Amino acid sequence: MFDLALALSYSLALVWLVGGCAYRVGIWLKARNSLPIPLTPAPRTRSGVVMRLCLELFAFRSLARADKTTWLASLLFHYGLLWLAIVHLRFVFTSLPTFLIPFIQYSGWATLCVIVGLSVLLLRRLLVDRVRYVSAPSDYLHLMLLISIAVSGALLKRVWPVNLFEVGEFLRGVFRVSWVPLPDHAGLVVHLLLVLVLLLVFPISKLLHGVGVIVSPTFNQRDRG
Amino acid sequence: MKESSVPAAQVVGRYRVIPIIQEQAMANISTAKATPAIQHEVGLPGALVADWHDKAISRLGTLLKERRGLQVFMDSCTKCGACTDKCHYFLGTGDPLNMPVARQDLLRSVYRRHFTFAGKWFPKLVGARELDKPMLEDWYRYFHQCSECRRCTVFCPKGIDTSEVTMAGRDILASIGIGQQYSQEIIAKVNRVGNNLGMKKPALIDVLDNLAEDISDDTGLAIRIPLDDASADMLIVTPSADFFAEPHVDGLIGMIKVLHVAGIRYTFSSQASEAANFALFTGQRDQMQGIAQRISTAAQALGVSRIVMGECGHAWRVAYSFMDTLVGGFDYLDPEHPRPEHICELTYELLKAGRIQLDPTRNDGKVVTFHDSCNVARGSGMGGIRRGQFIVPRALLKASVPEIIEMSSDATMQKTFCCGGGGGLLTDDLMELRIKGALPRAQALQAVVDSHGVTHLVAICAICKTQLSQVLPHHNLGDVQVTSLHELVGNAIIL
Ligand code: SF4
Ligand code: SF4
Repeated sequence: MFDLALALSYSLALVWLVGGCAYRVGIWLKARNSLPIPLTPAPRTRSGVVMRLCLELFAFRSLARADKTTWLASLLFHYGLLWLAIVHLRFVFTSLPTFLIPFIQYSGWATLCVIVGLSVLLLRRLLVDRVRYVSAPSDYLHLMLLISIAVSGALLKRVWPVNLFEVGEFLRGVFRVSWVPLPDHAGLVVHLLLVLVLLLVFPISKLLHGVGVIVSPTFNQRDRG
Repeated sequence: MKESSVPAAQVVGRYRVIPIIQEQAMANISTAKATPAIQHEVGLPGALVADWHDKAISRLGTLLKERRGLQVFMDSCTKCGACTDKCHYFLGTGDPLNMPVARQDLLRSVYRRHFTFAGKWFPKLVGARELDKPMLEDWYRYFHQCSECRRCTVFCPKGIDTSEVTMAGRDILASIGIGQQYSQEIIAKVNRVGNNLGMKKPALIDVLDNLAEDISDDTGLAIRIPLDDASADMLIVTPSADFFAEPHVDGLIGMIKVLHVAGIRYTFSSQASEAANFALFTGQRDQMQGIAQRISTAAQALGVSRIVMGECGHAWRVAYSFMDTLVGGFDYLDPEHPRPEHICELTYELLKAGRIQLDPTRNDGKVVTFHDSCNVARGSGMGGIRRGQFIVPRALLKASVPEIIEMSSDATMQKTFCCGGGGGLLTDDLMELRIKGALPRAQALQAVVDSHGVTHLVAICAICKTQLSQVLPHHNLGDVQVTSLHELVGNAIIL
């Protein structure tokens, strides 16, 4: 019964995630771009703009200008997370594809990066008076949620193992909308519940900021003079 | 109780350190609100309207739909804190509401309360707030402690432009009856008379004639400064401060020498006798359109084929980035010069073409440093080349003076610090803010004064020039001459 409820919630959460993100980005794109406000010096060509966006998206260039500690912590966290997201693709396939093997091999380091990165960000939020001043409860909670997801995941992998094939069956069921029971494992349930919260919060919070970078007119407009 | 005004020549600070936040440090600093008469003149309600709350929220809703940047910025901030130590007003005052993100949050918290799911249902959790009277006061105060300089944007990983937020905030405030006296009065005057000073045509003729006489006496040349001359090819639009204020007027003299030597048929216009467009600062797009249109209309009436803007930072941003959209194109201009040009672009072009010659030895003894103005550095371009807004003025300086010293790289070019008086804050009632906000610039300047004996601080913005010459003495830098770039060009030019 609980399995079914969780599986159903996951299916609904995925719809909510995609729909919610599309809705928010839709609001952004529907807003008129009345006057050009690129932050200059801005690229003069379209390919230059693509380059600028890539630097911001993949190297966090502006953040690097601002504060090297935050920049490093953010890079560790985001790339670790990306790595782990790729590792989780294993649950999409019934048999393990070979391209995932190196990712899985180093997933421990990726988890470490995520936890260290997030901890630095959390410490900064707690300790730097300026950042503390602008933080709302949700800002701390986002970080703590992500840390607990990473920690619970690491525990599942290293301390309290779970049958990965059965987890895969469960998740594939979620995607196919034909639900199968979960392995009987309390740690797994905790991990999945935390991720569920993340999926629910994502489209209605600042977590959508990655897309915001691309849509920001200061970054994506050309210098046309 | 803290002092509300800074005594003359008090040394405010020396070293660039990040202050510990000091809540309420600038809470008693508020610029005068517009009188009912001025509000009415610019088509706004004379005093706070009865249903101000609903009007404000609905105005915010409209702006969110009209300005994509604003809409995205409201959602995409992660409170990462990268911008918190980048604003000169925070560095100079320590007031946490002068941290860019905190300034945005004044608007964002209300946005969240009224326009987001999380803010409607869990306001405490996400820091959403109702727009009440105290909040309204904070809006007014702290949206008038931002010079819309966009330095914070340079460091924001989401590209969030606090100036867009400030402009939206000021627009909303003005629309419910609380505009800023200083800026709204200027907008009223420019609409009424054609320039921010309210100088009518006869006065303008007088000023230009006197100026022509001075230059003629000085140089032995027969100089005439044309006004509303329909036979001219080029319309010159300068900030009106250039007509009389020091050190601005010496820059204007330099410009006139350049135009004279190059043999250009130029004219000033009595209708468009002002480059500045304060509606950029107040966020009122309709007013900005009208003020920009005035220049375009004058240019067409005079039948010129080129428009050249004088040394004015925000006027250049409007001309370079917005005017095209605002006035609907420039098909009447020479296809070789299809947009308004900056006087530095013109002088640079003349220099490269050999139509003017500059002799740097005529500025012997001057050690100069260049203050990049925000709106030029981060809001426009120059010369049709990447980073042209940094390259072109420096090339002109290099040709005009023997020695240029750069200030530290976190205080120049794209990362330049505001003079502390931009964005509609150049008013006496904000003097304390202006002095404190100039601190980072003063520190960068002090460093090159100490290391290289810099004697002149060069700017290409009327606001920067006025502000810096007024506040540098408070930072013990009164000996440094604030100078127009074209004054040095004018000294160096071979007549
Ligand atoms: S740097 Fe940008 S994202 Fe970070 S707190 Fe400031 S405005 Fe928000
Ligand atoms: S735009 Fe300039 S004045 Fe305004 S918050 Fe940003 S840095 Fe400060």
